[in-house]
Amino acid sequence: MTIDRLSGALLVLLGLLVVWERRVLPLGTSQHPGPGYAPLLLAILLIILGAILIIGGKGAPPLRSIAWSEAPHAAAILACCIFTTVMMERIGYRLTMFIVLGFLFAVMERMKIWLVLTLVIGFSLGSFWLFDSLLRVPLPRGEWNF
Amino acid sequence: MDVSFQNLVLGFATVFTPANLLYSLLGCLIGTMVGVLPGVGPLAGISMLLPTTFGLNATSAIILLAGIYYGAMYGGSTTSILMRIPGEAASVMTCIDGYAMARKGRAGPALAIAAIGSYAAGTLSVVGLMFLAPPLAKFALGFGPPEYCSLLVCGLVVLSYMTGGSIVKNLSMIALGLMIGIIGIDQMSGYFRFSYGLVALGDGVGVVPVAVGLFGISEILATAGAPDRREVIKPRFRDLLPSKRELKDSVGPISRGTILGFLIGIIPGSAHIISTFVSYAMERRMSKHPERFGEGAIEGVAGPEAANNAASEGALVPLLALGVPTGPITAVLLAALMVHGISPGPLFIKEQPAVFWGLIASMYLGNLVLLLLNLPLVSIFVNLLRVPYRILYPAILMFCVVGVYAVNSSMVDVGIMGVMGILGYLLRKMDFETAPLVLGVVLEPIIEYSFRQTLAMSDGAYSIFVLRPISAVFLVVALVMVLLGLKPLIKKTKDWRERLTEAERGA
Repeated sequence: MTIDRLSGALLVLLGLLVVWERRVLPLGTSQHPGPGYAPLLLAILLIILGAILIIGGKGAPPLRSIAWSEAPHAAAILACCIFTTVMMERIGYRLTMFIVLGFLFAVMERMKIWLVLTLVIGFSLGSFWLFDSLLRVPLPRGEWNF
Repeated sequence: MDVSFQNLVLGFATVFTPANLLYSLLGCLIGTMVGVLPGVGPLAGISMLLPTTFGLNATSAIILLAGIYYGAMYGGSTTSILMRIPGEAASVMTCIDGYAMARKGRAGPALAIAAIGSYAAGTLSVVGLMFLAPPLAKFALGFGPPEYCSLLVCGLVVLSYMTGGSIVKNLSMIALGLMIGIIGIDQMSGYFRFSYGLVALGDGVGVVPVAVGLFGISEILATAGAPDRREVIKPRFRDLLPSKRELKDSVGPISRGTILGFLIGIIPGSAHIISTFVSYAMERRMSKHPERFGEGAIEGVAGPEAANNAASEGALVPLLALGVPTGPITAVLLAALMVHGISPGPLFIKEQPAVFWGLIASMYLGNLVLLLLNLPLVSIFVNLLRVPYRILYPAILMFCVVGVYAVNSSMVDVGIMGVMGILGYLLRKMDFETAPLVLGVVLEPIIEYSFRQTLAMSDGAYSIFVLRPISAVFLVVALVMVLLGLKPLIKKTKDWRERLTEAERGA
């Protein structure tokens, strides 16, 4: 399997999914196109482009040529993004950043504890002060109002 | 609204308030830092710092954001010359001769010529912008929905051709971007489309979470954990002055780079990157001693740096006059302007002269500020490069979260940023360019609206697109670009775009 063939197949699948999901939206007529008109045209375009990639993708690099050496770090950062999305409005910006930055500095980067604490406190409280207090950009304070 | 002395006076009167002068200075300073730090490009920088402008009036906000934009273009040269790491993609060519000069102990003159070239190009390009944008806006006032729809389609196709790599992949990224742009309430019928019950998606997927995810988060995902070995050559202030010979040798490349960069900047695509490649190639071809290129030729620094800065200001012509962004950075600038209640387009210059001419005046000032700032403070900026990336990336992540959250105070936007981050990371792995996707998201509502209006106008006849001359010209240009893009696929040969992509990767 080559990279282009896989990506082409995914585009075709996405196009088919859009065609299926679009069925609840009125198509309208060419005189008065409805909300489903443009999605259908785009889905068809995605399917065509995906098919071209599949057909022309024989000579593309194979999937196994992709290097994933940074994957553990990437997974940890993604976990931090998910944690932030779920928790920031519940526990507040400062606490969320404290946990996220603490995890990245201490666990992923294995920094010394005094440096971790300095950076975490400085960044989380400093950025809150800069944006929320100084620039009046409201950031979540969570259920504990912190 | 034409160029006149009164308009310039209005612009300078708008800028010459203590607060606006401060924002211009601050924007240039932050922009230079953004450009200097590898991994924080102008796009992520503007997106992250957008919330800092919320408390400002529209004029001050645009002055600050524009300062960040061209400051970042300026700052990118520092890392290229001192570390052989381009601070942003447009500084790739500066790495070659800039770093070679630095290795020979001529880092100071290389930095000085880059700053002088950027200043001259930036200032002359503002003159171009000032003279070109108002008449272009006047011309575009005659555009109806078919012309506007064809113009946008043409812009997207040209972008997919000029971005480099496979045109089929670039076109699929545009289609994917347009698909993402469809999510939300349909402005003509009020139907919720692909929002799956999430009320927060009613307003659609914002360009800021998409851009920060695709460019900021995906960059962190791809680079965090990589070995952090950096050798920084530190120039001394007294060594900054270039010799008379170096100054003389730079005049031609700077002039040519300025004209070339400005003209390429107007075209959609990776204009500032392409302009540096074209400028470098042209200087080498015109040189009596082409063998010096790659070994520390000052022309190899002067030309591309001038072209890069001229292109970044040329890109503002279609943005301000037509409301059409030509790349992801101008797309985010467009979103930022909209947050402040400004809709760039044919009516913008006429209806908001203080903002437009204030921006023009701030750019004259900003270019001067950058010249005065970049050279004396170069050792401070060099110290920024000593911050290890393992400290930098969690901080960038934090600023991304704040930047995205603050636009709508929405955690859904933070979630979208995360999803776009994964998407961008996987797309990079699969050799897809993400810039066309961002443009697709930004332009979808305008394209669809004008497309449906056109069909309603013509009673469903698609022929209206080719029967109206201006619209037909745009579509012919788009078709030519598609055919040119498909040529290497059919003939199995490498064209200039593939060579450019390879050179970018190799730098």
